[in-house]
Amino acid sequence: MARLPIGQRIVARRREMALTQKHLARLAGISASYLNLIEHDKRQIGGALLRRIATALESDSSHLSGSDDARLAGELLDITRQSAASGSEIDEAGALDLVGRQPQWAQAFVRLHRAWREARETSVALSDRVSQDPALVELSHALLTGVTAVRSFAEILEQHPDLPEHERNRFCGIIASQSANLGSTAREMIALLGGSGDAAHTGSPAEEVDDFIIFHGNHFADLELAADRLRQDLTGSDLAGAIHQRLREHAMPVPLEEGLPRATQRFRLARRLAERELAELIDEHLVDERLTSPEARALARRALASYAAGALLLPYSPFRESAESLRYDIERLALRFEASFEQTAHRLVTLRRPGAEGIPFAYLRSDGAGNLSKPFSIPGLRMPRFGSACPLWALYGAFASPERTITQLAEFPDGERYLFVARRLLKGTPEHGGIAPAYAVMLGCDAVYMERTVYGDAHAGGGRSSTTPVGFGCRSCVRPACPQRAHASLLAPARGAGAGHRSPGGG
Amino acid sequence: MAQTVLIAEDESFIVESLTFLLTHAGYQVAAVDDGAAALEQMARARPDLFILDIMIPTMNGFDVLRKMRATPELAGLPVLALTAKGQEEDRRRMLDLGADDFVTKPFSNADLMARVARLLGHPPTDSAVGTSGP
Repeated sequence: MARLPIGQRIVARRREMALTQKHLARLAGISASYLNLIEHDKRQIGGALLRRIATALESDSSHLSGSDDARLAGELLDITRQSAASGSEIDEAGALDLVGRQPQWAQAFVRLHRAWREARETSVALSDRVSQDPALVELSHALLTGVTAVRSFAEILEQHPDLPEHERNRFCGIIASQSANLGSTAREMIALLGGSGDAAHTGSPAEEVDDFIIFHGNHFADLELAADRLRQDLTGSDLAGAIHQRLREHAMPVPLEEGLPRATQRFRLARRLAERELAELIDEHLVDERLTSPEARALARRALASYAAGALLLPYSPFRESAESLRYDIERLALRFEASFEQTAHRLVTLRRPGAEGIPFAYLRSDGAGNLSKPFSIPGLRMPRFGSACPLWALYGAFASPERTITQLAEFPDGERYLFVARRLLKGTPEHGGIAPAYAVMLGCDAVYMERTVYGDAHAGGGRSSTTPVGFGCRSCVRPACPQRAHASLLAPARGAGAGHRSPGGG
Repeated sequence: MAQTVLIAEDESFIVESLTFLLTHAGYQVAAVDDGAAALEQMARARPDLFILDIMIPTMNGFDVLRKMRATPELAGLPVLALTAKGQEEDRRRMLDLGADDFVTKPFSNADLMARVARLLGHPPTDSAVGTSGP
C-alpha cells in the first residue's frame, strides 16, 4: 500500500488554523525542522506523535492519517479499472495523492462517475425506442452529447493530475453542469416514455407544476364550481368592486400597484380572494405525488389560485359562449371580460368541461431568448418543455410584429396542419426609461377547427400559399431545404422517401 | 512541424475536450462548427487529419465526405468520423463514403487518440493497446 500523504493534510489543517510551522512544532513537542520533514512526507509518523499533532490541530488522527481517504481512493481505482478499456489506469499512489490533495474533487469525481453511469445505462436502455420518436430523438442527442462531454472531461481529469488550477476548475465545472443537464434530460426522457420516472425527483419545482397541470388536462372542475359559487355570492353589479369589498371584509390589504394594467390588477385581487376563500379546496390538490417539494407545492398553490381567478373573472359558460360567438377573437373576448390578452388566451385552453368543451388548444410561452414556459400539448401537437421549438413557429414570429396578433397555418412534415395564433406581450408598464420584459404567447389548434375562429379566415382554402412548412425542432425534422435549419436532423430519412433529407436535392 | 488536425463538430464542449486531448498529444488543432466551413478550411489549410461529426449544421457529415472525395486535392485526406451510439446504419454509410475509421459517442479518450495516431501513421502507444473496436 502506498504511503498516505499525511504531510499534505497537516499543512492544510495548519494553514486553516493560521499556525506557523514553528508554532505547531512547539505545540507538538518536536523541532520545526522535523515537522518540516513530516509535512513533506519525508518521515512517516503514527501513534503518539500523530495524536499529539492532531490534538494541536484540533483534528483527529484518523482524519490526518486518512483512513477515510483510503476508501475513497479505492473507489477511484475501481472506476479507473472499470474503464480500463481506456488504457488509462492510475495507480494507487496517484489515487491517494488526488484524495489527499483535492478531497472535494475526488468525491465529486466519484459522484459524477456514478451519475454518468446511471445516465449511460438509461441512454442504452432507451436507445431502441428512441430511434424514431422525434421528441425522443432530440432528447437522446442531448443525452449523448452530455455523456460524451462528461466522460471525456472525467478521463482528462483522471489522466492529467497536474492540470493548472483554472483548467481543472473549468473542466470540473463543465462536468458538473453537463451532469446536471444529463439528470434533467434523463428525467424528461423517462416522463416522455410514459414511465412514472422517479416520483421523488421529477425535476425543478416549475416542471413539477407543469406535470401536475398537464396531468389534470388544464381543467379543474371543482375550482370551476367553487368559482361559480363564489361569484354568485359576490353582490353588486361590478365584479371587481365586489371582490375588492370582500377582501376588505377579510381585512386583507388591497394594494394598488402603479404601473400595472387594470386587467392585471383585477386578476391579482381575484387571485388573492381565491387564495383566501378556496384555500381548502386548493390545498386538497396539493397532496399529489407529482409535487415533491414545498417550493413545488407553493408554485402549484399559486397556479391553482390563478386558475380560480381566471374562472372567477372569465366564468366558464358565458366565456365559452362568447368565445364561440366572437369566433375565438382573443382581443374582443379580452375587451368583453376586461381581461388581458394572456389571461384570455390561457382561459381558452381550460375550456375542457365534458359536454361543454371549447376548441382544444395547445399553449406555449417564450421570452425573447427562447426560454419556454407554460407548455400545454394536445394530441398530435406536442409543445416542447425545454430547448426550443421550430424557429418557424408563429411564437417566434410574434416578436417581429409586436403590435398585432399573428396567425399561421403550420404544416408539419407528416402533413398534419395546425392553426397557430401568437402575440408578443409586455409585462407591466415600466417607469420612464425602464424596460418591460417582453414575451410571446401562442395558441395552437388542429386546422379542422379553423373555420370556427376569426384567425382561420386568412388561411381559408388552405392552399399551398397560405401554409407554412414547419417541424417540431431541427433535430427531429426531415425537411432538407429548410432555410431556418440550425441543427442537422438526427432522423434517418423516411423509408421509401427516395434519397432522403441527407442528400442534396433529395427528399 | 506539428501535424494538424481539423475538427468539424458543433457541440462546443466536445470540441473543447478534443482540442485539449489533441493539443496535449502535440498536434495543432483547428475547429469549425458546420460542414460548409469545414470544406473551406480544409481547402485553405490542408490538415493532416480530419475529425468529422455526422450531425453538423448546413451540410452534414455525409455530404461533406461526398464533396471531399470528389475533390482531388482532398480525396486522400484521412477522415475519422464521430458517430452516435445506436446508429449502425450511419457508420456503414460513412465507411462506404470513404471515412477511414470512426469512433462512437460516448467515446473513450484513449480509443480516440489511438485511432488518431494510427491514421497519422504513428505506432500505437502502450496506452492505446487493446482498445475497444467498432
